[in-house]
Amino acid sequence: MYRFFVTSPIAKLLWGILASLVGIIVLLLVLVSEDTRMAAQTVNWEGRSIENGATLFANNCTRCHGPNGQGLPGLGPALNSFYFFMEKGRLQDIGWVGSLEDYVSLTIAAGRPSKTNSPWAEVMPTWGSQFGGPLRGDQVEDLTAYVLNWREFALAQTAEEDPFQPFPDVNNAVEFQNAAFLLLSEEEQAIAREEFKARNIRSPQELWTSEVCSACHNINERQVDVRGQSGPNMADLYERAGSRVEGLTAEEYVYESIVDPTAFVVASYEAAGQMPENFAEKLSEDEIRGLVEWLLDPNREP
Amino acid sequence: MGVQQDIREKGLLGAAAAAADNVFTRITAGIDAGEFRRMLQGDPPGRPNPRLKPHSEAFLLHIKPTYYHESVTRFNHTFRLGLLSTYLFIVETITGILLMIWYAPSPERAYTDMILLLTNIPFGQFLRDLHRLGAEAMVAIVTLHMVRAYLTGSYKPPRQFTWFTGVLLLVMTLFLSFSGYLLPWDQLAFWAVTIGTSMAEAVPPAVVGETVNLLARGAPDIGANGLLRFYLLHVLFLPLLLILFFFVHYYKVVHFGISLPADEEEVGEDTANRVPADKRVYYLPDVLTDEMSFMTVITTLLILITVFFFQAPLEHIANPQSTPLHTVAPWYFYWLQGMLKIADKFIAGVLLPGVLLALLMAIPYLDYNPSRRGKDRKVAIVAGIVAGTVMVILSWMGTPEYAVQGAPSVEIVQELMPEEGSGISREIGYTHLPLGIWRTDEEYDAHDHEFNELLHEFQATVDYYRRQDPDFNAPVGQLTITQDQPGLKKLHWEIFWYDAQGAEGSYKTSFWLHEDSIYWEQYGWKQSFLGYVSDGWKSLSGAFAGE
Repeated sequence: MYRFFVTSPIAKLLWGILASLVGIIVLLLVLVSEDTRMAAQTVNWEGRSIENGATLFANNCTRCHGPNGQGLPGLGPALNSFYFFMEKGRLQDIGWVGSLEDYVSLTIAAGRPSKTNSPWAEVMPTWGSQFGGPLRGDQVEDLTAYVLNWREFALAQTAEEDPFQPFPDVNNAVEFQNAAFLLLSEEEQAIAREEFKARNIRSPQELWTSEVCSACHNINERQVDVRGQSGPNMADLYERAGSRVEGLTAEEYVYESIVDPTAFVVASYEAAGQMPENFAEKLSEDEIRGLVEWLLDPNREP
Repeated sequence: MGVQQDIREKGLLGAAAAAADNVFTRITAGIDAGEFRRMLQGDPPGRPNPRLKPHSEAFLLHIKPTYYHESVTRFNHTFRLGLLSTYLFIVETITGILLMIWYAPSPERAYTDMILLLTNIPFGQFLRDLHRLGAEAMVAIVTLHMVRAYLTGSYKPPRQFTWFTGVLLLVMTLFLSFSGYLLPWDQLAFWAVTIGTSMAEAVPPAVVGETVNLLARGAPDIGANGLLRFYLLHVLFLPLLLILFFFVHYYKVVHFGISLPADEEEVGEDTANRVPADKRVYYLPDVLTDEMSFMTVITTLLILITVFFFQAPLEHIANPQSTPLHTVAPWYFYWLQGMLKIADKFIAGVLLPGVLLALLMAIPYLDYNPSRRGKDRKVAIVAGIVAGTVMVILSWMGTPEYAVQGAPSVEIVQELMPEEGSGISREIGYTHLPLGIWRTDEEYDAHDHEFNELLHEFQATVDYYRRQDPDFNAPVGQLTITQDQPGLKKLHWEIFWYDAQGAEGSYKTSFWLHEDSIYWEQYGWKQSFLGYVSDGWKSLSGAFAGE
């Protein structure tokens, strides 16, 4: 019996064949399960990254950003906040073109090591080791994953719950520094914005800087070379504006050029096309008129 | 002879048959089709034996002896442990080479590569688990191989040097396994290897120890250089060295033959070259069939264990700034860790293992007893059993059970929710952790069987340490579970107690658990596997049905 089932060559061959079959079947089962296993492993490691981030946040960040990431007045801004996660919230206000993830991870890694324009008592320290901070790259990633995981909670906040605190470094945010505004519909927001603009008229000098007109246009020295800056020179605008377009006064010409930059393009600037076309939305009527008057004033104050 | 002439002489069919036979004979390195059929039918070979030809024709077969003594082919004489060790080395080589494809030995990438292997590579986890299982099995099998050779006295003349090289191979296997330990670059790897290399530092004089340590780590602490060095040791230097000594070892095995059972062979007898004709078992086909089927069964066993019962650990990424609470060596070094707990680093880490190794290698040259029979070797066998028992006790002392207890409060939390690994809290999982405040001095029914078990365990552990430690009186444990974020629960553990003087003490710590996180134990039933199979099957059949 023993010899027949175990030691005879034919039994050995049969055991070998049986074992191969079992092995192949099990490997086929593994093959079938691989997709779901890999998916489960993927979310597993994402989950673990959030867990690691939670520990790091509790140890390093709660001192300024609060235990639930809802910020501490005067110390650090809220992260677990509707404004921080909403589509046209923080990112749009500071003109960030990347993703929220990039914004968070870069802010953690590089920090905000400058007190200029900052309403907070302390600067955001530099955390990433690549910039001399204490955290490795993977730890910055974990922290980012943890902060972003507030999304669902933050977007479910009502106006009263939103711990929104002002970010006075951005004009738009100054306008409507309360959560109630952010919870309005788009049309209501547009009306509120117009009302605000009507109440708060910015000076031409302020607009010239904040809207970065000076990056392209020179209004102080007359043009000496052929081309100059990337926008037409405006030091002699008050002399030329009246005669640029048949039938338009100097005021009408400048006003039209701000509201619709493609209307009259100065020769040799056709290809540039870089003048933003949204000033009509961004500036109120009064602000534009003030700007036109200032630009055409030969004795304007810089 | 040209084809045309061949056909003219034998006819078309005859020529084709002859050509086919010729090809068959070339593939089998000298066995023609007729002989092969006689082999399968179990007919005895003719004289002179035509089945010896492959041994001189084929490289792989020329290494193997043409025949064995009938007594050594019995399974319960050798248990095929030497063959199994070799086979596991081959398994490790194959899985290892495949794993190298997805691995870069740098601290920036190593751990991420592990995660990528688990999340993005089909069969990636299987390969990793199999490689790890094979490594641990190889250490165990090589050790058992040595124990077998010791108990049967096979190291006695003329096989002293075979034993000597065998001990060297055991050492290399241990080093191979240990050098691979660092590569995943997790906490487990980092701290086990930090402790391991720090033993080298204890080698006197100081300048030698420091140099050895520096050479191994590539810097005062393990970093990018250390990882690269361990990688090169693991994939290049040690395997090549092992292959070299394997061939020395195996040459000796073939040269002197496998030792016969003790009562059939006198010490010093050259039985390998004087096997009586009627005792010969030829390699072709009998031993080959046996070895092939044995290895097939072993392969399937390895696959089954890997798929159902074994999961290589992967802890948090290596962090030189934080030492996990209970750093443990791999189980085959528990004995060393046990010795380190009772003696200093030089004695326990360098001197004793060194002496032990020297003794082990010298056994055949020290043992002058001219008999291999058990009844004549009482001293040797009792000494072996005592040594084995001591190893087991030392190994037990190497586990965290023995003598490294921290403060009771820390140990309680560590037991329920350890820094690394699973623990009962993570085992029951996110859904079985109801929000609320749970104290050990009150009774609850949480309406959740598994959570009730955790609470019970919490009470029992606190109570255990209350009885153990006089400085831990009237202890109360409190577990606060809050919803920290979507899909993320915070488990806040607090322990309060009075010490012997009546002063209050407290300990607080928090852990987080995400609902998608999976924590696993290295050994044990892989619960998730069958679920994955059925999910995978559903989506597969869904895809077919959709067409």
